[in-house]
Amino acid sequence: MKAVIGLEVHVQLETESKLFCGCSTDSEGAEPNGNTCPICLGFPGAKPKVNRRAVEHAVKIARALECDVRPRFYFSRKSYFYPDMPKNFQITQYEMPLALGGRLLLDGRSIGITRVHMEEDPARLVHVGGGISSSLYTLIDHNRSGVPLVEIVTDPDLASSREARMFLEKLGLILEHLGVYDPGREGGLRVDANVSLEGGQRVEVKNITGFRAVEDALNYEIIRQESMANMGIAVERETRHYDAETNTTSTLRRKEQEEDYGYITEPDLVRIDVDDAWISRLESEMPELPDARIQRYVDEHGVPLFQAGIIVNTGLDLSRFFEECVGLFPEPGMVANWIVTFLLKSLNYEGIGLRESKVRPGTFVELLGLIGEGTITERLARELIKEYVGTGESPRSLVERRGLASAGREELGEAIDEVLSDNRKAVADYRAGQTRALDFLLGQVLRRIRARGDPVEVKRLIRDALDSE
Amino acid sequence: MTGVIERARTLDEEYGIFNALAESDDSTGGGRLEGVAVSVKDNICVMGMETRAGSRVLEGYRPPFDATVVKKCREEGALILGKTTQDEFGFGTFSVNTPFKVPLNPHDRERSAGGSSGGAACLTSVADFPHLALAESTGGSISCPASFCGVVGLTPTYGRTSRWGLVDYANSLDKIGVMGKTVADAALLLSVISGPDEYDSTVSQAQPEDFTEYLQNDVEGLRVGVPREYFGEGVDTGVSEAVWGAIKGLESQGATVKELSLPHTGVSLASYYIIAMAEASTNLAKFSGLRYGLHLPLEGSFDDYFSRVRARGFSEEAKRRVILGTFTRMAGYRDAYYLKALRVRTRVIEDFKRAFEEVDVLAAPTMPVVAPRFDEISGMEPIQHYMMDVLTVAPNLAGIPMISFPCGRVHGMPVGLHLMADHMGEGKLIRAAHALEVRG
Repeated sequence: MKAVIGLEVHVQLETESKLFCGCSTDSEGAEPNGNTCPICLGFPGAKPKVNRRAVEHAVKIARALECDVRPRFYFSRKSYFYPDMPKNFQITQYEMPLALGGRLLLDGRSIGITRVHMEEDPARLVHVGGGISSSLYTLIDHNRSGVPLVEIVTDPDLASSREARMFLEKLGLILEHLGVYDPGREGGLRVDANVSLEGGQRVEVKNITGFRAVEDALNYEIIRQESMANMGIAVERETRHYDAETNTTSTLRRKEQEEDYGYITEPDLVRIDVDDAWISRLESEMPELPDARIQRYVDEHGVPLFQAGIIVNTGLDLSRFFEECVGLFPEPGMVANWIVTFLLKSLNYEGIGLRESKVRPGTFVELLGLIGEGTITERLARELIKEYVGTGESPRSLVERRGLASAGREELGEAIDEVLSDNRKAVADYRAGQTRALDFLLGQVLRRIRARGDPVEVKRLIRDALDSE
Repeated sequence: MTGVIERARTLDEEYGIFNALAESDDSTGGGRLEGVAVSVKDNICVMGMETRAGSRVLEGYRPPFDATVVKKCREEGALILGKTTQDEFGFGTFSVNTPFKVPLNPHDRERSAGGSSGGAACLTSVADFPHLALAESTGGSISCPASFCGVVGLTPTYGRTSRWGLVDYANSLDKIGVMGKTVADAALLLSVISGPDEYDSTVSQAQPEDFTEYLQNDVEGLRVGVPREYFGEGVDTGVSEAVWGAIKGLESQGATVKELSLPHTGVSLASYYIIAMAEASTNLAKFSGLRYGLHLPLEGSFDDYFSRVRARGFSEEAKRRVILGTFTRMAGYRDAYYLKALRVRTRVIEDFKRAFEEVDVLAAPTMPVVAPRFDEISGMEPIQHYMMDVLTVAPNLAGIPMISFPCGRVHGMPVGLHLMADHMGEGKLIRAAHALEVRG
């Protein structure tokens, strides 16, 4: 059975202050309820005021998703009673959202974007001594109340859990490029997923954090709905909760319990009129997006498409790393190849990301330089990169400290002479046509120079020496 | 000014004026309001002073900040005297919808001082010390009590004054305004409190004016319009006559008078109450006993808890408005009520805009009757309470400025003349009312 999936993605915008007040959005390590004020706590008499920067971020997101930014938009009140809402209504957008009708290209397939709108994040609830329904009591941390969110709603265009995950990864990458979102922030991107099987009712799975979790939740939900259909039980329209620990979903509320949000226009905020010059300015500030970046690596740097794709799609950190390396070591093809083939593998092996590692462009290109100038062999470099990723030590100083530089012409010549004079039988065998004797001699020379040389090159030199003897 | 606080306490005992009173004089003096006691309607936040907006649900709430208008008064050297009595959250016309004190009419204590800013109007009338009142109107809550108590009540253009620190009733309608014994008093206080405020996005960016410059006793050439619909059925004949007397007075001083029509007057009451209740029902949702105001022992689920807090904290009229307001914005009814009311509001505004192409000010009775007796009020149905606002809701819906000016008496009780002007036209109102005041 074919799955039909649509996503509502909530993204915490990376701004200094909250959406409607001056409180800081950075609550890492902050005391619970420390970053609050009468506005984000909804005190009587306090009024919201719109954070212009958050609106600008939202416009950039909308434009990056090729949405039509509306000429005017306003905020609305969405009423529901829940302890995470200080006012028991959320300031969001309803009838006149920021933007409508865009798309995101996923491997050439167009995923429709229904709308993009802004809203305030509710408080964080901490259930103590159990889950959402079994806890002894619940603590409320309003540091998150009022953090700017952008909600991105897709058309029901996604056909599998895998595709949903790919969509989110690409969206995350675009947001990261725009500089409006911090992928490292916990809960910075939360998803409600709507999923139905052909002919069945739509089920909404609420509040899933993490790309992997979205895929897992959808897999569970699709299998659940399939089993029900196989047993002849109708899938009803409902809202379900996803439990990441057990990787299951459970009923939150049924259709008849759905909330009536009773939207009204937010009367404390004025309508925002958008002028084209402002949009143009924001567009001009927008950085290059991932697809364009991949194409540029191919066009400008001659990097193979698949390698360019890996570098860009791995994350902005790696793209920046690549570009800095190319600035220092103008052989982009080699840089890309070494990043994709060896650096990523070593990072993976160490189980760390580029950001946490001690790998830096300056030292990384040293390694490539050592190969280029013939100081070390490629084979040795492949060994050294593991050690380099672990310690971050300058490859050049590593090679010097450990005496790993390839043997010089003189040293190599001496070694060959010695080996030839010490192994006359082998020399005679070679002359008698036994090519294996040459491999033996090569082994002896390499041992003498402690493998600091390119075997192919050394072999050539031995042959030259034999021929001129 | 400690004597003023003592005197206020005595008046409070006689008339039921204050929900909270300053404990000491902390005024700094040295500004335009030096030596003036400014009273503040209970729904306007005063830092550290209990602010309940006439509701039990806010019991014990001491705001951590001053409303912008209060701050401005302090900066001009005023003494912030206390919090004046009102209907709960402004939900009423007679200041009787409150579990706290009900202000009495200074001209007859058997009668209402009007509402919802009843305490403010009563104090303005009886104060025998320099006093000005900060009041607030959503649908007529300054004009009505000013009319009933025989004082000057000036409701500014929506957006002329900051609402930062006002406990919201209906945000798209709420306006902080002023009351004084004289037009000059009202003009002075409005000059102090008006102007842009970064804490309220809906405030006009227009620079503050000195409204006392309009006190010129000159109405030569002022075009006065008299809307026919405002003298219809239900308007007391005596009230009508007193108001016409004042209009003739303006004419005799050089104003021109013409009758005209505001055709959407009849539907403005319904539109007003739908919008006001829809907004109010969302505003009251925040009072759940978790962060401020009334707290009860934490038992049961969140739903149980806040239901108990609201059942205890809100009185009957608040509950009625929450239920009605929620209904008007529910799926399936929203189009027929809330959205339609917004469209009617646009029509009402257009009525006024057309009228102000022909005239400078509109003149009408503020209230259809003089202040009713409490025994009459207790016999009224809610709809009869709402009907009392029939003459004040349209200009409030339109957000235009209005002034109620005492223009005579019927059965010994004051009658208010209501003057209305186009947006930002407070100067014209002050000019006209001042001319009548000087004429006496």
